Amino acid sequence: MKRTLPQSVALYSGLLLVFLIIGMPFWWVVSGSVKLPREIIARVPTMFPQSFTTQHFEKLFQSTDFPAYLVNSIGVALFSTIVTVALALPAAYAFFRMRFPGRNALYRLILLAYAFPTIVVLIPIYGLFAKVGLIDTRTSLVIVNIAFALPFSIWMMRSFLSTVPKEIEEAAIIDGAPARVILLRIMAPLIAPGIASVAIFTFIASWTEYLFASVLIVSDARRTVPVGFAGIIGQYQIDWGLLLAGATAATIPVVILFAFVGRWFVSGLTEGAVK
Amino acid sequence: MAGLSLKSVKKRFGNVEVVTGVDLTVENGEFLVFVGPSGCGKSTLLRMIAGLETVSEGRIEIGDKDVTHVDPAKRGIAMVFQTYALYPHMTVATNIGFPLEMAGLPQDEIDRKVAEAAKVLHLEPYLQRKPRELSGGQRQRVAIGRAIVRQPEVFLFDEPLSNLDAELRIQMRLEIARLHQELKSTMVYVTHDQVEAMTLATRIVVLRAGRIEQVGSPLDLYENPDNTFVAGFIGSPRMNFVKVRVVRVAEGFAFVSAEALGLSEIPVRLRGVEPESPPGDVTLGIRPEHFRDGGDGALSGIVSVVERLGGTSYVHAALNDGSQITVESRDPREHQVGRAHTFAFDPDSALLFGGDGKRL
Ligand SMILES: Nc1ncnc2c1ncn2[C@@H]1O[C@H](COP(=O)(O)OP(=O)(O)OP(=O)(O)O)[C@@H](O)[C@H]1O
Ligand SMILES: [Mg+2]
Repeated sequence: MKRTLPQSVALYSGLLLVFLIIGMPFWWVVSGSVKLPREIIARVPTMFPQSFTTQHFEKLFQSTDFPAYLVNSIGVALFSTIVTVALALPAAYAFFRMRFPGRNALYRLILLAYAFPTIVVLIPIYGLFAKVGLIDTRTSLVIVNIAFALPFSIWMMRSFLSTVPKEIEEAAIIDGAPARVILLRIMAPLIAPGIASVAIFTFIASWTEYLFASVLIVSDARRTVPVGFAGIIGQYQIDWGLLLAGATAATIPVVILFAFVGRWFVSGLTEGAVK
Repeated sequence: MAGLSLKSVKKRFGNVEVVTGVDLTVENGEFLVFVGPSGCGKSTLLRMIAGLETVSEGRIEIGDKDVTHVDPAKRGIAMVFQTYALYPHMTVATNIGFPLEMAGLPQDEIDRKVAEAAKVLHLEPYLQRKPRELSGGQRQRVAIGRAIVRQPEVFLFDEPLSNLDAELRIQMRLEIARLHQELKSTMVYVTHDQVEAMTLATRIVVLRAGRIEQVGSPLDLYENPDNTFVAGFIGSPRMNFVKVRVVRVAEGFAFVSAEALGLSEIPVRLRGVEPESPPGDVTLGIRPEHFRDGGDGALSGIVSVVERLGGTSYVHAALNDGSQITVESRDPREHQVGRAHTFAFDPDSALLFGGDGKRL
């Protein structure tokens, strides 16, 4: 389709607007993290850094506990993501394929998990974890993250599963593949974008989770980035350079994850299967 | 290798009975074809044989073994789907070898069998490709390859050629026929292309609304249909049906007339027992290819369309009673649109059907 000039202008100015809204704060943070302190607090903000320094990063990684927080966060987010994907895939397949009483009701019900404000479930969860001795463990965060990511992940994966032509599965059944093999060797590769979406969703949700991390973790050494970092910048008067460097460093694992998982977002995976 | 039998098989989806009692025995090595209009239950029947659909009532046996409740993979069948249903992320070789892998065969044996199948199906150059890098015909051959490596007792095909273009369809039809001759296994094949049915089948099953209308060899169904449905379904172009009246019955013949069409007392051979009283209003069936100059019967009508196919032509004409007929003609030049013409036919090859559509 050929676009007319006004259409092109509208399209590109729209794109630019979206790009600015999303990109500007990000650019502000990243560019600010390498500016000298006096440029950061300059009365006239600079769009492009006039000075360059790595002092904020050096301070962040050498004289704060940030590296420990980073390791904790990566551990918690990775475990949460892996377990969520590992649980959501078979659960979604069961909702998609198996017949059992109450299937549809249960499927609708699982999203009810999101109906309660998090703060409401915080207290009972705290009590529960206190009983089983999970307070102040990173495991408790992994469990909470999974519990919150799972319902949506099951929903998402089920809708991806339903895009796979039924005959492919039937052919596998006739070929003698058991359900486990059909799921792992046939369905999973065909819904790679769905798995990637779930993985990114869970990783980011775990990465940015603050409330539970601030309540369930007591000792400083086990803190995750959002909570630990809040402590760093609040401790003294606000060190803007340190804040921006920490915010920048916190995005890096997410960017790496996108680069890694992004390859799975390909279309046309089932091309050639039918037709 | 084994035969197959269906015993009063029924299928209900909710309250709707889509297969209403099918009894059928397929001999070992037979090529059985299901034909019938869309929605008559051909696929459902085949899927019940495959085990992809449960049987609501009745029994299915494969080689004397009751498989009604047996897993699809343990029935000794292989199925080729209309939409190839290949595994898109696997190479051709892995696709073909997949059932063997599932059966737990060692890799070297899988490789050997895959190579064998690829040779039979001319797929050798494509073994390392993905399905999306193949043409439609090649994809369908991969699907067939995946079926033959398992050496099944029974092959099931659900309209395997209907996604292909006309030329490829003819080529693949020949390949399937050749495969049947080579493998000599039992094949059950669903199609609504009656040329496929006529050329491939040892026996054809004509289905309508979940019931068997008639079973027989292709020629048998063509020459000896049991009712107007089968007569109209087998043969292309369709058989012509003309309303006539029986005036008398004698010595195995019914003498039929239709004054408006210029037919009087044409003798048509009866198949069954002679009815005691003339059955009155009946239907006369004449195939387009059974019109010939100098025949004893004749219908006159106005030519409406002439379809020229080269060797033969089909002349469509409107009769006086408003019905349409199609006549095969060697020479289209003798027909002109809008002109009246008398079409002679051979009463010996005409068939008679009662008011209920049953053959007389
Ligand atoms: N899963 C199902 N649930 C309800 N009804 C179904 C289901 N599958 C098929 N049917 C119905 O059963 C009837 C037979 O369907 P089937 O697919 O066997 O027809 P078919 O003869 O193969 O037709 P076609 O030539 O169009 O493929 C149809 O009326 C269809 O609507
Ligand atoms: Mg069908």
